[in-house]
Amino acid sequence: MTNGAVRASAEKGKIGHFFRTLGKQYQLMIMSVPMLLYVFLFNYGPLWGWLTAFQDYQPRKGLAGSKWVGLKNFEFLFTHNTFFLAVRNTFAMSLINLVFGTVSSILLAVLLNEVRNRAFKRTVQTVTYLPHFLSMVIVAGMAQNIFSGRGTLNEILMTLGLTNSPILFLGEGKYFWWLIGVINVWKEVGWGTIIYIAAMTSIDPSLYEAAAIDGAGRFQRILHVTLPGIKSTFMVLLIMNIGHLMEAGFELQYLLRSGLVMDYSDTIDIFALNYSFGTANPHYAYGTAAGMFKSIVGIILLLGANRIARALDEETLI
Amino acid sequence: MKKFLATLLALAMILGLVPAVLADDAPELITITAFKGAAFDQPTDDNKIFKKIEEDFGIKFEWEFLAGNLDETLGLKMADDESLPDLFDGGNSAEKLENAGVLIDLLPYISEEGTPNLWKHLHGTNVKLDQLLSEDGELFIIPNFGVIYNQEIKRHNGPAFFIQKKVIAWNDYKVPKTLNEYFDLIERYLAENPKNEDGLDNIGFHILSKTWRRFCLINPVQHLMGRPNDGEVIVDINDPGWHTETFINQPYAKPYYAKLNEEFHKGVIIPDSFTMDEDTYKSDLAKGTVIGMFDQTWAFNDCTASLLNQGKYEDTYLALPLVYDPEYVDGKVIEEHYINGTVMNKDRGFGISINCKYPERLVKLFDALLSDEWQIILHWGFEGEDWYYDENGRMNMTKEQYDHRNDAQWKRANMAEPLYDGIPKKEGTMDNGNAWDPSVQDEIYYASSLTDYDKEFMAKCGVEAWEDFFNKPLECAPYGEAWQIDKGPIDEDYQTWCLLQEQWLPKVIMADPDKLDETWDEFIEVINPTSKIYTDFMQEEVLKLVEKALGSTAQ
Repeated sequence: MTNGAVRASAEKGKIGHFFRTLGKQYQLMIMSVPMLLYVFLFNYGPLWGWLTAFQDYQPRKGLAGSKWVGLKNFEFLFTHNTFFLAVRNTFAMSLINLVFGTVSSILLAVLLNEVRNRAFKRTVQTVTYLPHFLSMVIVAGMAQNIFSGRGTLNEILMTLGLTNSPILFLGEGKYFWWLIGVINVWKEVGWGTIIYIAAMTSIDPSLYEAAAIDGAGRFQRILHVTLPGIKSTFMVLLIMNIGHLMEAGFELQYLLRSGLVMDYSDTIDIFALNYSFGTANPHYAYGTAAGMFKSIVGIILLLGANRIARALDEETLI
Repeated sequence: MKKFLATLLALAMILGLVPAVLADDAPELITITAFKGAAFDQPTDDNKIFKKIEEDFGIKFEWEFLAGNLDETLGLKMADDESLPDLFDGGNSAEKLENAGVLIDLLPYISEEGTPNLWKHLHGTNVKLDQLLSEDGELFIIPNFGVIYNQEIKRHNGPAFFIQKKVIAWNDYKVPKTLNEYFDLIERYLAENPKNEDGLDNIGFHILSKTWRRFCLINPVQHLMGRPNDGEVIVDINDPGWHTETFINQPYAKPYYAKLNEEFHKGVIIPDSFTMDEDTYKSDLAKGTVIGMFDQTWAFNDCTASLLNQGKYEDTYLALPLVYDPEYVDGKVIEEHYINGTVMNKDRGFGISINCKYPERLVKLFDALLSDEWQIILHWGFEGEDWYYDENGRMNMTKEQYDHRNDAQWKRANMAEPLYDGIPKKEGTMDNGNAWDPSVQDEIYYASSLTDYDKEFMAKCGVEAWEDFFNKPLECAPYGEAWQIDKGPIDEDYQTWCLLQEQWLPKVIMADPDKLDETWDEFIEVINPTSKIYTDFMQEEVLKLVEKALGSTAQ
């Protein structure tokens, strides 16, 4: 038998195996059809819209009637001096969100995992994840009341004599990123713990028992059993979040921004909004072009993170 | 029995048809969707004026009002033909609608025979029809304000520096005339009254600087230099070449921001000024804590109404036409011109969208509503109910009738505000001498619209009307008012230019006093490139408008 023939028969075996498995799992296949449809309809379907990034798109004229302008829209973005500020701000704020969001969620999850009193645990969980359901408009309103010059925080600081004149938390560029980080952590910390707590419940209790018998204290058990137990979950979430680094959120920055902090508050989304809707004539295509830029960078980041994780022999997404 | 029932049924059906046949000549009832690019209160279902419109014309309105950002809302509405309302008012950004081609040309529906009222309206004495038309000669929007019949009655409703009346009273009714006098008064008052009557901290001078309301931050300089509102440019009306320039980057703009810088460091302007949004600004005003600000009267009407409803008459505002002190302008004495001659409110008001199935009926409605009978109903309300003829045979309102017009709930049921605001209307005076707009009718303006506090206040100041603090209106320049010019062709640079001011002017005001010059120079350097583009564009447009205006008088 020649090499080719061996390979051919192995191939045949593989294909046969594939169809046999398919036959066995046909229920699962049918169940996944709606999800596939969903993905094609809402994630791939809109990709047609990317064509408008190369047009002077006018919705009334439609895709067929609008004028093609080549890379003009991208040229506008990449030659505008504030666009790269916007890219920097987007990255900075989402990086802060990612690091602090993840660390705080894991910390809270570990703490909750150690709590033995069920009622207390449930209460803390509920209280910490309730803010997740608040609209950003309300959160921004609360932030205005707390952090403004006449806000609660300044009143406390001044009563305690820690500062003589109010600190303008909302009007100083250097505070803005961190303020967004703090608000996001407050809002999402409880929600973020859910998945880690779920991962922790799947850790085999006998591991804890064995560690305890070996003389591991509470901290050591956390360090050597709990944290390694959620590592794979952590890695998958991390890689996915890195793919979303171009999404720094929109509403909060938009609602809290002012002229004073523009250089720090304006994300790619806000930039696109300013120049696609804020102008005397709408330029829808700038928004599309900025969105396309974000998606491409996001894909590159995702694949990059995945490759690094694989190189480090860690859990990967793909 | 069956037969009887069948006959009965047939009879019932025939009878049911009869009214329909009889009513054949009455127009079929249609529902018009209408959007207004400003916040309004939803009229009640049994609103008396809308009910009469429905009875007389068979037209019902379904209202949608702006909630959120105007430009974004318009952008989204225009993105989909299906979501276009029949009647479309783009508020302060209506040029967008015209440029995007979502409005129909109204001219083909207007004729001397078919719509005599509208025809007359558009050929009125102060109407420059040429200036209303697009480059291709289309008319998309009939101005909602500024068409004058007979006698013009000019009251102040625009830009000014404002100050709480109680502060003037505290100053023995001496009224500041220049920038320095104004801030000196605020400083002295604030030093003696750090808190208001309710124990809340007083704010010396408030500056709203976000979104399109940034005009509170940017516009004052032109007025301090003695010009009416041309938006962001100063046009030299004595120059045969109509020299036009942005003023924000000129040397004469600096003293104003230097003054604000000084006041900021004295605590007269609070840092929150530059981070607050309009809601906070308005609530500060309505609480009676803001001593002064630069704004336009119509832009904070709701705060005034709220203050009046709370009985805080002394906290309402007096409009002041301030100018630069001579020391800032080489010793020149500047004469103020805050009030301009009436200009047509070009590109403001209702357009009819391409989605509308009944454009002809809507134009006919505009025409019918322009009849004297309907104009009185829309402006004044119903005789006996909302107004009366007084012993001199003049139209008048009692204090109670007039006060209703400050009551949002009452207005929802008894006035057609959202419609009134956007349709073409008559202003000036009726043929019998009464004012079309009741709020400027002498009997009302000097009596019913004034609180007792106001009357006493005016007497103490030695004036009879609020306008007595101002010079006589200037004759309107042939180009109108330059803020009306559509910035479409340079919209990206204009946007950058606006954002730079929103960003830098607060920086200048908050800068360390010894770094002020440096910050100002930096600002000038940053703003100059886009200022140049904007200036060149405006110069060209002003010249075009002048040519059109002078051309049309020559005909």
